Amino acid sequence: MPRKLTIDLGALERRYHELSRMIHPDRFASSAARVRDASLRATATLTRSYRTLRDPVARGLYWLELNGEKLAENNKRVPPELAELVFEVQEQLAGMHDAPADSDAACELAAQVVARRSQLQATMDASRAELERNFVKWDQRPDEKMLTLELKAILSSIAYLRTLIRDVDRALENSKAA
Amino acid sequence: MARIFGIDLGTTNSLIAAMEDGAPRVIAMGGNHSALLPSVVAIAPDGAITVGERAIEMEPHLTVERDGRVSAIGFAGGQYGAVIRSVKRYMGLGGDEIAPEDRARYTFADLSGSVVRFQIGKRVLTPSQISAEILRALKDGAERALRAAGKDEKVERVVITVPAYFNDGQRQATKDAGRLAGLEVVRLVNEPTAASLAYGLNKRATGNVAVFDFGGGTFDISILSVKEGIFEVLATNGDTHLGGDDIDRVIVDWLLAELPDALKLDRHVWNSARMAAENAKKRLSDVAETPVAVDLLGHSIRKHLTRDALEKMAEPFLARALKRCELAVADAQLTPADIDAVVLVGGSTRMPLVRQRVAAMFHKEPLCSIDPDQVVALGAAVQASVLMGTQGDMLLLDVVPLSLGIETMGGVMERLIHRNTTIPTSVAEGFTTAVDNQTHVDVHVLQGERELAKDCRSLARFKLGPIQPQPAGVPRIEVTFLIDANGILNVNARDERTGREHSVDVKPSYGLTDDEIERMLEEAIDLGEQDLEERLLISYRNDAEQILGALRKQLGEFGALVDVGERGRMDEVVERLEAARTGTDRELIAKLVEELNEVTTPFAERIMDAAIKLALEKKSVEELS
Repeated sequence: MPRKLTIDLGALERRYHELSRMIHPDRFASSAARVRDASLRATATLTRSYRTLRDPVARGLYWLELNGEKLAENNKRVPPELAELVFEVQEQLAGMHDAPADSDAACELAAQVVARRSQLQATMDASRAELERNFVKWDQRPDEKMLTLELKAILSSIAYLRTLIRDVDRALENSKAA
Repeated sequence: MARIFGIDLGTTNSLIAAMEDGAPRVIAMGGNHSALLPSVVAIAPDGAITVGERAIEMEPHLTVERDGRVSAIGFAGGQYGAVIRSVKRYMGLGGDEIAPEDRARYTFADLSGSVVRFQIGKRVLTPSQISAEILRALKDGAERALRAAGKDEKVERVVITVPAYFNDGQRQATKDAGRLAGLEVVRLVNEPTAASLAYGLNKRATGNVAVFDFGGGTFDISILSVKEGIFEVLATNGDTHLGGDDIDRVIVDWLLAELPDALKLDRHVWNSARMAAENAKKRLSDVAETPVAVDLLGHSIRKHLTRDALEKMAEPFLARALKRCELAVADAQLTPADIDAVVLVGGSTRMPLVRQRVAAMFHKEPLCSIDPDQVVALGAAVQASVLMGTQGDMLLLDVVPLSLGIETMGGVMERLIHRNTTIPTSVAEGFTTAVDNQTHVDVHVLQGERELAKDCRSLARFKLGPIQPQPAGVPRIEVTFLIDANGILNVNARDERTGREHSVDVKPSYGLTDDEIERMLEEAIDLGEQDLEERLLISYRNDAEQILGALRKQLGEFGALVDVGERGRMDEVVERLEAARTGTDRELIAKLVEELNEVTTPFAERIMDAAIKLALEKKSVEELS
């Protein structure tokens, strides 16, 4: 398949099925242990590859990797367009942490946090959609350095949101347990 | 190569099936030629084992004698032996994980352990050992039936089905049971997926299928995409403690409501009530009202159960199941309208209420043309034929039902492999030390969807090392977590700097160690068993036969990849192994099997390379990895 950011998902799936038929461990059930082992590892790699290419975010990250780039680890910088929302959520999380367990204040804050979480999720979904739209645009201008910067920006934003949502989920579970 | 059979090791009933002239068929066995073998195991004080209908007769219950008197019969447990029913509900669990209602039913030895152990007289038995007796009964019954049909065939290689929602420990316990029964478990297959194979076989179906599997003890819902012979699971969900047994329990409580507590807990009374409850429940699938009676010493209980009342009792359990369906459909990123066909599996789906609710959720009548009690076993036989290479292009792509991860700082669960990821799958994670000269790194592997490690299920622990003394943060050890086609975790570790493999001693949190299994194989619990020496010899002979058969097949297909000198060396070892195989020196057989493995390794690796090259020709691997 050609190396582009946009992918024909139907073709990708067909290829994945074709390859699975050939190297899946079920095809080597009666073979010697070493062959079975090799098939297992090869199929695990195939599965991982399929998942990477199928998901736009993973695909974007992989594309960066192929070009020797990567996102900064532990990116603590808040994407400017999310600043207000993030600030609100962090305030509410701190409030939830400080409020006495089972108090009315705690319950109310929890409800607010849940609502914020939906907002965060919606924002992340919108970013993912924007990413896919951009793939089409970027495929047409493959040599631009701007492409890399824009791609990194959107992926950083999505990564940040993902981490924040995960922190929100943990805080919510912690408060339920309390 | 020995034929692979398909086994449904169910909570209530077990079956064995095989392909016969291109169609899967359940092998009928036992005196009454029944396809179903009740999963009930009776262990007598002297250690004798009985499985099936006869074991049910030994279950403690009340019986009315010819002169009208009621008496209590059967093994009541303790030093009088025991009759274990629904052992599947105890598989792969630690003592502290058994549901309260399951704990009350039998006597246990030390519930603080990582493996449940039943106390039966002086004996202590694990659920895997008891399940092994069911498997052995299926094997013996099938071999007898085949002999009667003029075929002298042994059941050695099997596919065993498990609930899709079984975790790693429960799967491992099932594999252990197979091993203890002297069987080679070629593959574990998820029950809903197996059922879809049985339905998809003739129709060359295409589309999205939902399999609603409501059995005696477990519930599964799987959403699959079927396309040109590829059965790809999109999402699965379930509850390993939800089934017809739960409904029976509610009926029993209602039936015995007026009895004093002491009588309610009596095993004879309870079992008699359970039998009456189960039969009444089944009758109510066809009629709207039925009498239910239990004859006790002194007086009898006579009540009437209506279908309406039964449906009220079943409602909460059904609601739980339907909730799981919603989650699975959502995980598959579909809506109920996107599902083209719904299949019903498991005896409990015979209830009209179940059919109605499923039809309402998916806006279509569910399919149940294949006997819901047999469909899983039939599907297992189909998968067996896929593994034997006789089912053309059909392929199963299943998923891991629960997320897998490790415990990180702060007691948090970091997910490495997400639930509903297609298997086999692997992920590599780098580990390093936190302090200078640290010699080992502890890793705690977990399964589950919760955020905190303590709320997830502990799967295993292992230590990486010994690590050479170095400053903190310098060592780099890459650990590969691989989930195989059975849904079971395999771990490999490699020192990234030296490239050397670390050996990893994975300690499962629940389950038997290899040593314990070896010991169990040595302690034959059935007095009619062949002695240990003979069993070990048979097992080594099977190994030899397997490697010889596989080699013959490979030389047939890929003979061109071997040069004359190499072939000469292989033939020489093969000849010696063939000779040793019919002898009784098992050490020699083992040695020659090892030697043959070594001599054929380069060949095997060449075959794998060729297969991969063929698969990926015209494309570069990097475009996929």
